[in-house]
Amino acid sequence: MIRSLGEREEEWEPKILAFCCNWCSYAGADAAGLERRQVPPTIRVIRVMCSGRIDPAFVLMGLLEGADAVLVTGCHIGDCHYVNANYKTRNRYEFLKEFVDELGLEPERLWLRWISASEGSLFAEMVRDVTEKIKTIGPSPLRSEWKK
Amino acid sequence: MEEVKAKMNSKYYLAWAKDEGIRKKGANGGFVTATLVSALENDFIDVALVVEKKSVYEGIPVLTSDPEVVKECAGSLHGAPVNLTKYVVEHAAKKRIGLPVKPCDARGIIEQAKRRQVNLDNIFMIGLNCGGTLHPLRMREMAADFYGLDPDSVVREEIKEGKIFLVSEEEGGEEKEKWIKIDELEAKGYGRRDACKSCITKIPTMADLACGNWGVPKGEEKKTFVEVCSEKGGAIVENAVESGYVEMEEAPGKGVETRNKIEAGMQKLAANLKERMDEVSALSRSERFEFYVDALKDCIHCGACKEVCPVCACEEDAKCLGTNDERDSYAISMYNLLRIFHLMDSCIHCGQCEEVCPVDIPLTLIQRRFSERMQRRLRYTPGMDVTEKPPLYETELRWSAGAE
Repeated sequence: MIRSLGEREEEWEPKILAFCCNWCSYAGADAAGLERRQVPPTIRVIRVMCSGRIDPAFVLMGLLEGADAVLVTGCHIGDCHYVNANYKTRNRYEFLKEFVDELGLEPERLWLRWISASEGSLFAEMVRDVTEKIKTIGPSPLRSEWKK
Repeated sequence: MEEVKAKMNSKYYLAWAKDEGIRKKGANGGFVTATLVSALENDFIDVALVVEKKSVYEGIPVLTSDPEVVKECAGSLHGAPVNLTKYVVEHAAKKRIGLPVKPCDARGIIEQAKRRQVNLDNIFMIGLNCGGTLHPLRMREMAADFYGLDPDSVVREEIKEGKIFLVSEEEGGEEKEKWIKIDELEAKGYGRRDACKSCITKIPTMADLACGNWGVPKGEEKKTFVEVCSEKGGAIVENAVESGYVEMEEAPGKGVETRNKIEAGMQKLAANLKERMDEVSALSRSERFEFYVDALKDCIHCGACKEVCPVCACEEDAKCLGTNDERDSYAISMYNLLRIFHLMDSCIHCGQCEEVCPVDIPLTLIQRRFSERMQRRLRYTPGMDVTEKPPLYETELRWSAGAE
């Protein structure tokens, strides 16, 4: 493979995009840090006010812009800060899952997890899981040519 | 009056136009034209939307309140596969519209009603049984290569009994009729449009009336087999009979059977053809990805497929257009990804998008691949029942009731 000057031979690191709900998983990610848990540096977090705010377009654009996997995280079913918005998230996720599968991407590139504010350990564990999984299946074919 | 009421007890009828002129011009007894004229004159509708025949390859949708124009437009027109949904949406807010519809027109209008674009109370749909339509360009090639006719000399076409008939007018003014079996044409890649080959909605029971020649007894051609599918449809037909535009009799019991048999046969054929035309199903996951990227890379983002789509109700500020940027060089553009995504639950497989595509992307196949598996999982068929909300708008899905 041709590499530009000065670039070092490095192990490929996946880029993982995580959408975190302000009221639960974002605080959960915080808790993971406070509890000093090891979280791989592969993750990029975007805070949203609710997982129901995550338009499928965000997820698709994330994949196009170079994410190898997208995590959608929100409050447990029944715990939503805005009554029932995470039900809608679940609905859209089902559509996205079918879409990504039919498009020819691996289903592992899309994750939905319910993580509450106190579940720092679960958050760290999830990021480790995803990173490991993506490392085995390799970079996403959907990312642009020069972003590889 | 009493007599008419007694007749209206059943759901199935044989009907025809009382006016001899209309009866002769219509493909099957002119029932559809006569009913439209009657609805116009008896103030059930303000305007009729009909397709005016320019040639066998071209039809123009016309909005008219003149019964004479409606009478002019009688007869079938398979070579102009226009979907009337968007025309209806444009005018239905101000006027009550009556129109003849193919199943895909009816389903499009119902999908628009679900999205609050039209009010079904203002629309009177006369459904026509549909065995499929022809692509005008393919039809010209067909006429020249298979029928040995000059494409411009063809004056009439007809699809019946599994054959495509073309009638050409020779120089001396005499007419020449030729037919070829649809199967033979389709084996060579001609015949009906791709969307029609694999369509399984043949009888438009979602419209107000479902009319056609399937189930009409032999020797009684020039009659239409009519199923009354809604109260409004029943009222309008009843009125047409009372005011002397239409004559009808109870359909023979065997007619319904015959009609269902024809429909079942066509559905079976469609399922086979669909499997045969689906080149993607044999591919592996990564090959499938390559196929989609390759098919969609020609897109010039003209927006024609969105403009013509009978399901799409977004206007200029649609998300698929808003998120798309010509300067991005994504493997697949946001426009295409979002359009496919938004139609996953609602695509009615009418194939209009492929028809208007200037770079010939196989959109019928792509949209069907994505939407069919989702619709099967959802156990949802779009365009059938106006009370069923599109699942993408639902808070909870029927099948995702159990938490992960």
